[in-house]
Amino acid sequence: MAQAIIELKNVSYAYEDEGTEAVKNVSLSIPQGAFHAILGQNGSGKSTLAKLINGLYLPTKGSVQVCGMDTAEDENTWEIRRRAGMVFQNPDNQLVATVVEEDVAFGLENIGVPTGEMPARIEQALSDVGMLDFAKRAPHTLSGGQKQRVAIAGVLAMAPEAIIFDESTAMLDPKGRKEVFSAVQRLNEEKGITVLWITHFMEEAALCQQVHVMHEGEIVLSGTPQEVFADVERIQSYRLDAPPMARLAHALRSQGMPIREGIMTIREMQEEVKRLCK
Amino acid sequence: MLKNITLGQYYPVDSLVHRLDPRIKIILLIALIVAIFLAGNLLAFVPVMLFIGFASMLSSVPFKLLLKGLRPLRFILIFTFVLNLFFLQGEEILLDLGFMSIKKEALISAVRFSLRLVLLVMGSSLLTLTTPPIVLTDGLERLLSPLRVIHFPAHEMAMMMSIALRFIPTLLEEADKIMKAQTARGADFESGNLIQRARAMVPLLVPLFVSAFRRAGDLAMAMEARCYHGGEGRTRLRVLKCKAADFYSLFALAALIAAVVLCGKVY
Amino acid sequence: MQVTLDHVTHTYQPGSPFQATAIQDVSLTIQSGEFLALIGHTGSGKSTLAQHINGLLKPTDGKVLIDGRDIHEKGFDKKEIRRRVGLVFQYPEHQLFEESVAKDIAFGPKNLGLPQAEIDERVKEALENVGLSYEEFAEKSPFELSGGQMRRVAMAGVLAMRPEILVLDEPAAGLDPQSREEMLSLIAGLHQKGTTIVMVSHAMDDVARFATRAVVMEKGTIAMDGKPEEIFRHAARLQEMGLDVPSICRLGLALREAGIDFPEDIFREADAEKALIQLWKGAEKC
Repeated sequence: MAQAIIELKNVSYAYEDEGTEAVKNVSLSIPQGAFHAILGQNGSGKSTLAKLINGLYLPTKGSVQVCGMDTAEDENTWEIRRRAGMVFQNPDNQLVATVVEEDVAFGLENIGVPTGEMPARIEQALSDVGMLDFAKRAPHTLSGGQKQRVAIAGVLAMAPEAIIFDESTAMLDPKGRKEVFSAVQRLNEEKGITVLWITHFMEEAALCQQVHVMHEGEIVLSGTPQEVFADVERIQSYRLDAPPMARLAHALRSQGMPIREGIMTIREMQEEVKRLCK
Repeated sequence: MLKNITLGQYYPVDSLVHRLDPRIKIILLIALIVAIFLAGNLLAFVPVMLFIGFASMLSSVPFKLLLKGLRPLRFILIFTFVLNLFFLQGEEILLDLGFMSIKKEALISAVRFSLRLVLLVMGSSLLTLTTPPIVLTDGLERLLSPLRVIHFPAHEMAMMMSIALRFIPTLLEEADKIMKAQTARGADFESGNLIQRARAMVPLLVPLFVSAFRRAGDLAMAMEARCYHGGEGRTRLRVLKCKAADFYSLFALAALIAAVVLCGKVY
Repeated sequence: MQVTLDHVTHTYQPGSPFQATAIQDVSLTIQSGEFLALIGHTGSGKSTLAQHINGLLKPTDGKVLIDGRDIHEKGFDKKEIRRRVGLVFQYPEHQLFEESVAKDIAFGPKNLGLPQAEIDERVKEALENVGLSYEEFAEKSPFELSGGQMRRVAMAGVLAMRPEILVLDEPAAGLDPQSREEMLSLIAGLHQKGTTIVMVSHAMDDVARFATRAVVMEKGTIAMDGKPEEIFRHAARLQEMGLDVPSICRLGLALREAGIDFPEDIFREADAEKALIQLWKGAEKC
């Protein structure tokens, strides 16, 4: 088993102005190079969890370790944020500069990378997300999916080991969503970057290696997508949705058709129908 | 509706003046302002005019554009000219209208005053026409950074200015959308008297402010996540370097000041 | 009530270097009682088209007619269009501004110049219509509600105008699955009560479930117009345009490819279920 890059032990977090805990006793371990999803409805605590991981919030109970460093130690803060970058939801509200390449430079400037090194790193990061042709453009002239890819490049340039995506596709159209998700898949496969993908889209969660379902601040279900989406009723009780094929398989099973468990994709459904109906 | 507003009046061509270091250009403008106020008589304005004329020639900015910057000022110009002309006292009467007379000193003073204003505006227009706002911000930050010793927040100021520049198009777009949405609910932004119109802006301004605050919060979070912790220990992608042309322009500047002072003495 | 777009073209900032034609020679008649889905990817002109339906945008060429009358001709009361055609923008919660929910919803009726008693009645009705209790929400500040509730309040603000046609731009964008479901069934409910619905959407599964007619936009023109089952029969063409097709359609394609006799006109989950059970029972008998 690869070493854990992100390790949460019995973490709880309560906002100061609210009595209740937004995150309750969560333990989670993300191994190096993995691609995990956290699935939950709005208000399930998944965004709070993201902010706990890169030290924007500090746990009220328990501990968060990133690359072996405790987020509660002040001197670790900047190193943690460099090594576990974060991409947020609203594409408009995370770009700082008026020119794409300068925005990618922003993080590098913050961590004091020498000026001479910057152009090469910016170029590499932009080409990794397929945005090199847009280096001189102004952010407000880009589409939502393009802006999010610039935001990813900004994190990528800092050479992180992990990236946390906090609902980074929630505000995009289907095209932008695919664009961003496949760019992230490529980074995971080709660069070995560990990904924690926070979302309420089950289609995306279904494509990750492991899914952790969050509900009312707790992780209530963890496993492969097949395992997690097998129990359609349980998923729906968390105000979430199962992939259409899992839903269909579930409905057919309840009418007596002996469809096997763990069906998620059209391909799997096709095989199964072929087996049963031919 | 709101999209037609053009911000900053940068004129994007490549010229010697465009390529000058923004710090030098800011210094040049400040010195130019000093020279304009040093000019004790009309003759002393001649070198200033030559300097601005020469600079605008080198900048390849159409002269028409430079004059355009004066348009909003035309009423003030006429007003102050007339005021100076009729109400300043002097000895030598040039023109007697019976109820009023124009004195020689008053005419000179009126011309000087107007000339000052015109040259000031043209000089600063030349700076903004040849320098993109973001570069200007950069230059200002570098120039002011020595003041950090007395706790002047040069970096923070420049950061705020550049964030403002980044978000102006976004907020304009948003304002346009909110305006349309409220119009769809029967709001009327275009008729009524001044007070009614001001009140009609509330449904536009409140959501706009709410959104600006939300964006500010998000952005602060995103900047922190990208390791932003103020100006300390920060490196820069763009480094400003003075080139030969920058030094020559400083010579030209010295010559200008000398000429202005000399002209003042000779007369 | 009937809205007709007659050869409508709209060009943004004509004559400037930023000139862009968003829709080109579009003709479309919206019949009373329809649930029309307007489909197309970002930049296909569907939002521009939606804004013509209630006269927010004026065609650079062509006409918009309500019950046969040109809405941009002199003497046509703009208020009448605003009243009869409601428009809910994307993320409408970003347009809330009043100190209380009730006041915000009252904004539209007030602009119509209605008497106070009628305004109050409409506010109540609109809140009920979006499934929020008047007693609980009327006096709350709209800014302390959850995202899904804010969106419903914003919708109530448009419903309070009692529009005959409701145009919605991506009403479920950004909502989580449950709130999304609630929003969609709310719209379906309004349609059942007689409101004509025009819904701009990317989500084909939603179109398959609710729409009675689908109009597909591509590059500023209407590429397809018909019943959903007709549209989804051209799955390949839709995918070419960069659009999704309902997952059941894709399943159908895959099944037929594998030599299974799955009917072509099925695109809803419930129908697929029935068809598959039938297929299975048929196969068992053999």
